[in-house]
Amino acid sequence: MPSKRLFDRIDSIQLRGVTKKYDDRFAINDVSIDIEGGELVIFIGPSGSGKTTTLRMINRLIEPDSGTILINDQNVMELEPVALRRNIGYVIQSIGLFPHMTIAENIGLVAKLEGWNEKKIKDRVKYLLDFVSLPSEMFMDRYPHQLSGGQQQRVGLARALLMDPPLLLMDEPFGALDPILRKQLQEEFYQIREKLGKTIIFVTHDIEEAFKLGDRIAIMDDAKLVQIGTAEELIFHPVNEMVASIVDSGKKFKHLDTLKIKDLISPLECMYVHDGSLDIESAISSMIEKNIEIAVVSNGSGPLGIVKLIDLLRMEDKDSKIADHVVEIPSFSRNELLSSSLKIMQKNGHSMAFVMTDEKLSGFLFPNDAFSQVIG
Amino acid sequence: MDKEHKGVDSLLLSDLIEVWETNSLTLRTIEHLTMFGIAIVLASIIGVFLGLFLYSRPKIAHPMLNLLNLVETIPDIPLLVLLLPIFGLGKEPTIVASVLYSLLPITRNTYTGLKEVDLKYVDIARAMGLSEKDILFKVRIPLSLPMIVGGLRIALVFTMGVVTLGGLIAAGGLGAALIAGIQLYKINTILVVGFWTGLLAVIFDGLAGMIEKRLQRRYGIW
Repeated sequence: MPSKRLFDRIDSIQLRGVTKKYDDRFAINDVSIDIEGGELVIFIGPSGSGKTTTLRMINRLIEPDSGTILINDQNVMELEPVALRRNIGYVIQSIGLFPHMTIAENIGLVAKLEGWNEKKIKDRVKYLLDFVSLPSEMFMDRYPHQLSGGQQQRVGLARALLMDPPLLLMDEPFGALDPILRKQLQEEFYQIREKLGKTIIFVTHDIEEAFKLGDRIAIMDDAKLVQIGTAEELIFHPVNEMVASIVDSGKKFKHLDTLKIKDLISPLECMYVHDGSLDIESAISSMIEKNIEIAVVSNGSGPLGIVKLIDLLRMEDKDSKIADHVVEIPSFSRNELLSSSLKIMQKNGHSMAFVMTDEKLSGFLFPNDAFSQVIG
Repeated sequence: MDKEHKGVDSLLLSDLIEVWETNSLTLRTIEHLTMFGIAIVLASIIGVFLGLFLYSRPKIAHPMLNLLNLVETIPDIPLLVLLLPIFGLGKEPTIVASVLYSLLPITRNTYTGLKEVDLKYVDIARAMGLSEKDILFKVRIPLSLPMIVGGLRIALVFTMGVVTLGGLIAAGGLGAALIAGIQLYKINTILVVGFWTGLLAVIFDGLAGMIEKRLQRRYGIW
């Protein structure tokens, strides 16, 4: 049964004195926030501070004891929950792809319940898989357990986008991924966000992620909203010590001129390194097994470049060596100045670089990540 | 030596054919599997529905499962005898007894399977906008299938045993041939029918086991 399209776009989301208690403990206490359409607002705070509870109230997974939540001036408590939720995309850390359904069935489930015809569902699923950089013909018929963590999270996002909801709720979507994969997906998400043009409410406990992705950041503590503002506002005008300490990791890199690459290095783990003589087939299975999406290709004496899992999966000739498909990326010594390295990378359009210590590969540099850390 | 060996071979084969024909084991097998099939289908339908019902009424789940447990503790021959006054002799009491024994594993596994579906799947299903009915049919039941098939597998073994015992109360089937063999003290008949009944049980158990494994593998549980 098709459910009503409740809103084509978000003009505003307003929380007015929203309170929720479990026994005599406040989960959230008198929280009021105004969110504009098209904004990406990040909720951050210690665990138990009420950020996930706030998120889950917007699609009525949790209902407030008092206060109101308005989307485009409609009280969510007066909307039918199933229809409301089909108008709001939801992505969570544990992803929760249904293990008994193929990837295509997972993504298309709600469309099927809405009574779309097979062809329309298939086309939409294909479009979404390609949108999240998974070759559709390769992934549609697989089961979730055959995918790596990063691939599953991409499917999770595709599933949330199925009904083209104007609002996305994301609860630590990259939280379970290893640091390098997390940065890569943040990077991609940052890029597709423009294309999406959606209002997004995003929960994280990672201040770097907040600075990198958020238009505004809401800091929560002990069931209350402590402060909401842009990164600059929080850094320059924190309302209290707690806010100051949370944003501190962004603040310490104030002087870009003196920063060296080693201050912002993402350390390399040896599981990323693959020998250039490996054929594509074995590289793919090794990367899936290790749950990584990029691999450093090395020829014994040093790194040749990188290969991305997505690209390898698309290759026709699975017997050829990965050394033949390497994408070269710049490499810098860890003691070089950050500013000059970033300029070089920006000029050449590179999104990552190797960092070398004594001629040996020791880590990666992600420029967007670096920028987000130095905004203070 | 060679000759003697050959003699044993041909003796076995001819005995087998003779036992099979004099006891009309083809017909007996058909009777046996018919009762077996009816009992299993009935027990599956009733068991799964009862499991679903108990899942929707958690308050009566425990007393009901305890009752089924009680039925399970009655030894099989007394149970057959208890059913005689109600259903008379023959196939009916045998099928009823089989169903009664099979209900516990199927109902219990259905109920437990539905109840113990990982809550993260239920939560995301709700968040995606599935109604409670959709959650039951699209998420809870499919995710409980490996567990339900596990219950069915136990029921298959019980039922094979009870249907064989039905021979005692004129239900026909392979049990009848076995009883006849025992009463006339025909070792060959006892061996052939006993072995054949056992083999059938192993085959059905193996088939159900294969389905169970396939479901588990498909769901990535193993």
